[in-house]
Amino acid sequence: MPRSREGSPFTGLGPVFLKEFADHLSSARMMVLMLFVIVFGAFPVATSLQTLRTVVDPNSFIFLRIFTLESEQVGISFTAALNFIIPLMAIGLGFDAVNSEFNRRTLSRVLSQPIYRDALLLGKFLGGLATLAVALVALWLIVLGAGLLLLGVPPRGVEVARGLSFLVVAIAYGGVWLAIAMLFSVIFRSTATSALCALGVWLFFFILWPLLAGALLVGLAPSEIRSMDDYAAVQSMGLGLMRLSPGTLFSEAVLGLLSPETRTLGPMLPSQMRGAIMGAPLPFDQSVLLIWPQVTGLIAGMIVVFAAAYVIFQREEVRA
Amino acid sequence: MRRLLALLVLLVLPLAGAHAQGDPPGVKGLFLLTDYPSQTVRAGEVTTIRVKVNNAGLVPEPLALSLQGVPTGWKADILGGGQPVAAVMAGVNQDVTVQIRVEVPKDAKPGSQNLVLNAKGQTLQQASLPLTLTVGTETPAKLSLKSRLPSLRGTPRSAFEYTLTVGNDSGKDLTVALSAQGPANFQNTFTEGFGSNEISSIPIEAGQTKDIKLKVTPPRDVKAGDYPVLVKVAAEGATAEMRVTLQVSGQGKLALSTKDGRLSGEAEIGKASTYTLILNNDGTAPVEEVEMSGTVPANWKVEFNPKTIPSIAPNDKKEVQVAVTPADKAIAGDYVASFRANGRGEQASADFRITVTTSTLWGIVGVGVIAVALLVLLGAVMRFGRR
Repeated sequence: MPRSREGSPFTGLGPVFLKEFADHLSSARMMVLMLFVIVFGAFPVATSLQTLRTVVDPNSFIFLRIFTLESEQVGISFTAALNFIIPLMAIGLGFDAVNSEFNRRTLSRVLSQPIYRDALLLGKFLGGLATLAVALVALWLIVLGAGLLLLGVPPRGVEVARGLSFLVVAIAYGGVWLAIAMLFSVIFRSTATSALCALGVWLFFFILWPLLAGALLVGLAPSEIRSMDDYAAVQSMGLGLMRLSPGTLFSEAVLGLLSPETRTLGPMLPSQMRGAIMGAPLPFDQSVLLIWPQVTGLIAGMIVVFAAAYVIFQREEVRA
Repeated sequence: MRRLLALLVLLVLPLAGAHAQGDPPGVKGLFLLTDYPSQTVRAGEVTTIRVKVNNAGLVPEPLALSLQGVPTGWKADILGGGQPVAAVMAGVNQDVTVQIRVEVPKDAKPGSQNLVLNAKGQTLQQASLPLTLTVGTETPAKLSLKSRLPSLRGTPRSAFEYTLTVGNDSGKDLTVALSAQGPANFQNTFTEGFGSNEISSIPIEAGQTKDIKLKVTPPRDVKAGDYPVLVKVAAEGATAEMRVTLQVSGQGKLALSTKDGRLSGEAEIGKASTYTLILNNDGTAPVEEVEMSGTVPANWKVEFNPKTIPSIAPNDKKEVQVAVTPADKAIAGDYVASFRANGRGEQASADFRITVTTSTLWGIVGVGVIAVALLVLLGAVMRFGRR
């Protein structure tokens, strides 16, 4: 029977958060991860900047093109690179959050302090998220600065707003993977197992899930497509399946934010296209409304996975 | 005897036939011919007289040419092929043309002068041509101007095209200057019969006529009424003029716009958005029975209030409310809707750019999803939170 507890569950959150944050920032692992991110991010950005400098782009959102341009030499855009680097970074930060403490037998020592388990887990999560945010903000500023230097034009207000929203979405996406990694670090005592599981989930969503979703769609779709509406229904069902993957949610949200001319993320019927002025950018608030389900999905997913990790952690035996 | 005579005739006939081929029978000899043996010349000017030397059935031989009776001070040359010549030679039944170039001095006295052109062969062949040149005032330049349709009717937006025939009734080629004088702001342009080039003058040979076209463009805001345009042609002191008339009837002209000229607006999906259109009549006559219509993307609704306007007076404007409802399944973004006003023979249209916005309802639902997730977390904290 749980007893009613005394005091706030957030007691001790601050010290845990700060210690975790400091540990992350000074760790060699963080250095390696940052190096990894910068190398992966720098290539697409450098090539897209080179392309943008030589090509007269009629697109007025030239700063956003730095993020989304897929240059021929590299074949991957900055956002696509982030789509798979962010999970790797988050898993790297979170896979041993709890079980390493346990293995070093420091967990009971920490918990003997006036710190609740709630605060420990939340502090560790927030510390990881803050580290991730610092890395992403740094990366974002580097890209923006490089763009300013090499393009020679200042970004417009709308572009900055869209870029900042992109940053928020990227952090939320990192949060999902951090929560997943921490969930495994709570479940498994061995850090290797938890890392393997987290990476397994990552690989599953990146490689297996698109194939599996396609196969599922073939099974679920009606055998005969009679009308345009049927076709649209099948398309949206396929999209719905794909959206179970956080990577899809992230890439759709990024598409809506960084390509302002995106009107819809689903199929568009010909009747809906009639009279539409193609290529006209959507107002910022409309773009946000368009990707709002994706953003809420990411944030809610992060909270739910964290809640699961919390429940398991609370019920665990921590004495070793 | 008769048979012998017939035989003789048969023998002679072909000879006679051969003789009759080039010339009228019986005419044989050397002739000097000119169209106008007596003409008028003007003091100080050069006159050229064409003379044909005709050899009818004679043996060709060089013929020396000479002029007699050239008054003192006058200068007369015989030219052949542009060069001064002294003799001609014409083949059998052939002509040679020479020109007599007579330079009349400025101070020549009025009166007749008789010149004789002689052509003399080495044998007996000879001919002479008396020419009478009267110094006097030449017939002055004279022009004529005619139009088949001097009065045209149209609206302020029509082009009034008059076909005019300019005639040069004088004895020499003239370059005729064209001008037209209409009311202020009326534009006049002259073009050649079927040409498109604008012209200000046109050369017309003596005795010839030429068709020119006058195009008059009245200003758009001209009131109904009759407007005269005075067309004048002039050359070397001669003028001719005539009056053409434009009968301009009034015409209405619709223009569709908004109060502040902004042709864009926002509309939320599934909700009617109302814009105020202004219908102007910039024309000179009222526009009757104006009906409003609109083209919007598929499944959208468009309603006008009022749908029809009985009449708009010139320089008057009417307000029309238009309510646009985007389709329930419309996607956010910019769309084009065009609104039209159709009066009798008049129409105006305006393309309106409508930014479709989605309702923020789903945004609130999204916040609800996050709230539910937080509640789950809170529930977990309540349920599992322990010391």
